[in-house]
Amino acid sequence: MYARKKSWYHALLLAVCWVLPAVAAAADSAGPTPEMLEKIRKANEECFSCHSQAGVQHPPKEGMDLKKLAGLTKDPEAFKGSDHQRLACTKCHNEGYDEHPHAAGAKDATSTCSDCHSKKADRVEKQFEKSVHAKNLADKFTCTTCHNPHVMRIAEKLGDPSKIVQQDNRVCLSCHDSDEKFAKFAPEKKSRPLIDDIHEWLPNTRLHWKAVRCVECHTPAVGAGEPLSHEIVNKDKAEKKCVACHTGNSALKTRLYRHLVKDEQQKYGFVNSVVLANSYVIGATRNPTVDTLMIGLAALTLLGVLAHAALRILMAYLRRRTK
Amino acid sequence: MTDERRQNADRRHGERREEEPTRIYILPLWVRMWHWTNALLIITLCLTGISLHFAESTLPLVEFSLAVRIHNVAGVCLVFLYAFFVVANALTGNWWQFVPKPPGILRRCWVQTRFYMWGVFKGEHEPFPVTKEENFNALQALTYWFMIYLVMPVIVLTGLIFLYPQVAPGELFGMDGLLPIAVLHYISATIVFTFLIAHVYLCTFGKKVSTTFRTMITGWHEH
Repeated sequence: MYARKKSWYHALLLAVCWVLPAVAAAADSAGPTPEMLEKIRKANEECFSCHSQAGVQHPPKEGMDLKKLAGLTKDPEAFKGSDHQRLACTKCHNEGYDEHPHAAGAKDATSTCSDCHSKKADRVEKQFEKSVHAKNLADKFTCTTCHNPHVMRIAEKLGDPSKIVQQDNRVCLSCHDSDEKFAKFAPEKKSRPLIDDIHEWLPNTRLHWKAVRCVECHTPAVGAGEPLSHEIVNKDKAEKKCVACHTGNSALKTRLYRHLVKDEQQKYGFVNSVVLANSYVIGATRNPTVDTLMIGLAALTLLGVLAHAALRILMAYLRRRTK
Repeated sequence: MTDERRQNADRRHGERREEEPTRIYILPLWVRMWHWTNALLIITLCLTGISLHFAESTLPLVEFSLAVRIHNVAGVCLVFLYAFFVVANALTGNWWQFVPKPPGILRRCWVQTRFYMWGVFKGEHEPFPVTKEENFNALQALTYWFMIYLVMPVIVLTGLIFLYPQVAPGELFGMDGLLPIAVLHYISATIVFTFLIAHVYLCTFGKKVSTTFRTMITGWHEH
């Protein structure tokens, strides 16, 4: 009898410890309800009423330090398009921000990326440690140096490769194409190499930057379906072989277009037609039927010429013999 | 070539000529210079173009970025050379050589084709020998006209758009607008490449295998 009671007690304990958190997690993964979203939107609007350009121009309260506030503004529209759009500002800026003026030292309590993205952070950390940025600027670099949490969207959600390229290259070029920002991070005495000069070897350089991301070449190769590495490599290790992308089995399929590869339908008979929707990539976007026809035409001509020549030689020989 | 001469040539068709070898100057220096520069550029463009289109790390082709640079430089040179040839052709009257003269163009083309497919094996001579007035037989004139005034403009124009892809339409039929340009460039390039093979071979049809090649250097035709 005691044993039966004990087993009931264990089952109840199991439900409390395992099942209830699982139910809560499932509810959480389903996302916030419309009511919750409305609540979040209103709460965020309150933050943006100060922390936006409009807030600086028309401060909702008197006596605010507008100069300081101007450096703490965010773009509400950009935030609404970001990955974190459904989160309340206070999810990260969590302590001391309920009232204004905010509590002293509230900034120090701001959540870090790994507080939510712990699994990803573990993987990324190992890659980042090998990165050129970690070697030279470890103390100055955090996730948010590149990934602006108020603006960015992950590639899979952006979908359109041209939007992915625009977003991601802006991150690299904001430092590497700006003396002012480069100087903030670079070691003393290191001057910024001109981005066009160091890529002079790359034909149609600026067109490449519109069509592909810097990280296409400046990260190590990845397998199919794997996310891109955070090991940013310098020019010595960067991909310099054009045929990595400009070939039938293009690396673009595991990089910029990896989210779209499942949509590949060999449109109009082209291989890599999923790339072709955005860019004609010589060597990669080929039509095997046209290739066969063109090679066939050239090969038949060559064979025809060789056969004709052989017959001419043979007939001339026979004519000489019969004379 | 007058009608009378054409008829005489037709009559001679199939017979061995017993005349003494004659030499006539048919190709001025500028035509020869254009021809060999054109040949060099076309061969360079074919080799680098093949290296770009069929780019594979396993194939022994010209390295991609080097091929791009060579192809771009040679392509721009070809654009200028083509423009020069069209203008010079018009100014010197050489364009007239590329126009097959009526009457009986189709019949003469057929006679020429029959010679290539049959007569040459029997040791017959060219049915329409070269004259100072008419350097090309009707089939040659038609083919060269097709290459110079139809295929070359396509390859030059599509090549220029390829060089400045920003002028290509952004999108066509849900694909990059450069696609039709690229396909046209590829097909016209294959026609030029195929022409090159046949052209070089047909140059062995002179009095001796080397005769026509020599003519293209000296300007003097022998028959």
